[in-house]
Amino acid sequence: MIQTPAIEIANLMVKFDGKRLIKAFSMCLSPGEKVTLTGRSGSGKSTILRCLLGFVVPEAGTIHIAGKLLTNETVWELRIRLAYVAQEPDLGTGRVQEIIERPFTYRANSRLRENLARIPEFFERFLLPVHLLDKEIATLSGGEKQRVGLITAILLDRRILLLDEVSSALDKTAKLAVAEFFRSRKDMTVLSVSHSPKNFSFSDRVIELPYNYSKGKQ
Amino acid sequence: MNIADINTLNLVAGYLLLIFPLGIILWNRIQIFGQTLLAVARMTLQLLFVGLYLRVVFELNNFWLTGAWLVIMIGVADVSIARGCNLRIGRFAAPLFVSLLAGTAVPLLFFVGLILKRPFLLDARYIIPIGGMILGNCLRADIIGIKNFYEAIQKSQKAFQHTLAQGARLQEAIRPFLRDACQAALAPTVATMATIGLVALPGMMTGVILGGADPMTAIKYQIMIMIAIFSGTSITVILAIWLSIKSSFTAYGLLDHRIFKR
Repeated sequence: MIQTPAIEIANLMVKFDGKRLIKAFSMCLSPGEKVTLTGRSGSGKSTILRCLLGFVVPEAGTIHIAGKLLTNETVWELRIRLAYVAQEPDLGTGRVQEIIERPFTYRANSRLRENLARIPEFFERFLLPVHLLDKEIATLSGGEKQRVGLITAILLDRRILLLDEVSSALDKTAKLAVAEFFRSRKDMTVLSVSHSPKNFSFSDRVIELPYNYSKGKQ
Repeated sequence: MNIADINTLNLVAGYLLLIFPLGIILWNRIQIFGQTLLAVARMTLQLLFVGLYLRVVFELNNFWLTGAWLVIMIGVADVSIARGCNLRIGRFAAPLFVSLLAGTAVPLLFFVGLILKRPFLLDARYIIPIGGMILGNCLRADIIGIKNFYEAIQKSQKAFQHTLAQGARLQEAIRPFLRDACQAALAPTVATMATIGLVALPGMMTGVILGGADPMTAIKYQIMIMIAIFSGTSITVILAIWLSIKSSFTAYGLLDHRIFKR
């Protein structure tokens, strides 16, 4: 039986400031597959993740998530199938515990509140001391914030994770812990973005994006 | 009325007080001399026109004329808010008009109809001054609230999108921004209520006292007007934001930056 792809992008074209940033990009991720997008700065790696979330609307092309076409009507239900961790996550203000709990107050996530009981488990797994939960998020280092963003995304229990340079601020041990976790989660589809694919040793495939932006107005 | 009138010669003499601010402006080379003269000229002409017009409106005390006056005041406030917030009037005119109308009319009609029990609900002598005070405060609150709301979302785009990515609906994503905007818009009225009478006698009370009324009557009017203003500002701010959301965000839940004037 042919499985419905977790993510299917066909002939994606994105323009930025009138210049073509992404040109006829296609990609297909099977459920459970781990893929890393790589390429030089400005090749549109992060933009592809933002297209999947409906934060960038492409000029042309189609995006299917779990078999459903992404449009302005389906974006709201498709977003709750995805979890996104940004490179420098702007997690808002407040204590770490509050920051992690906040998305569980949204109607779409309210049934997942029991997952919050696993916070200490994930803190331990990603080498974060539990006492950080009482600290203000602003006092955390970049690597700690990245892991808090990652833990929140995992607790949201989505099947598809979009990771934007999430290990950029992590030390070697923390990178290994993150890689080990994703390697163990066969049910999770992960599309990650990294300037260095070495950061994602758990990936099944690496796709290098060409650099189109400097080719002028198209 | 036993209020002392100001004759034309004395009124002209009153302008002599401008020597102090104009002198300070010139002495310190503050770049608002021309602007100040223009503002004084505008104030004089506008108030003269209003005085003449109100005399006619009060004499006729006609339902339609008073209603038209209110609608014109709301229309002017509508444009002032859009300008003050640097927003495109085309997108905001209708939601602002409705929110100003509701914020002014609800407490005004409650005040005049239920508290003052005026037999004629649109009695020009009550509706116009009290309506003007409520509307003036609604205008100020809307400028603070709307500007705060849209600029905060624009500045916090990353955090806002992060919230959407975590599964928040638009109403859930805007909630903290709405809360902050309402707080900023209502805080000045709350502060005024807390200090009223201690720092200065408010305008309405002064007017009622000058009109020859007992200070206790003036106080009762002032209490009611403050409550009406607070109620009107809260109605107008929340409505202005709610009603403008539909045309200010894309179908993907992102702020449409075209709402801002370049």
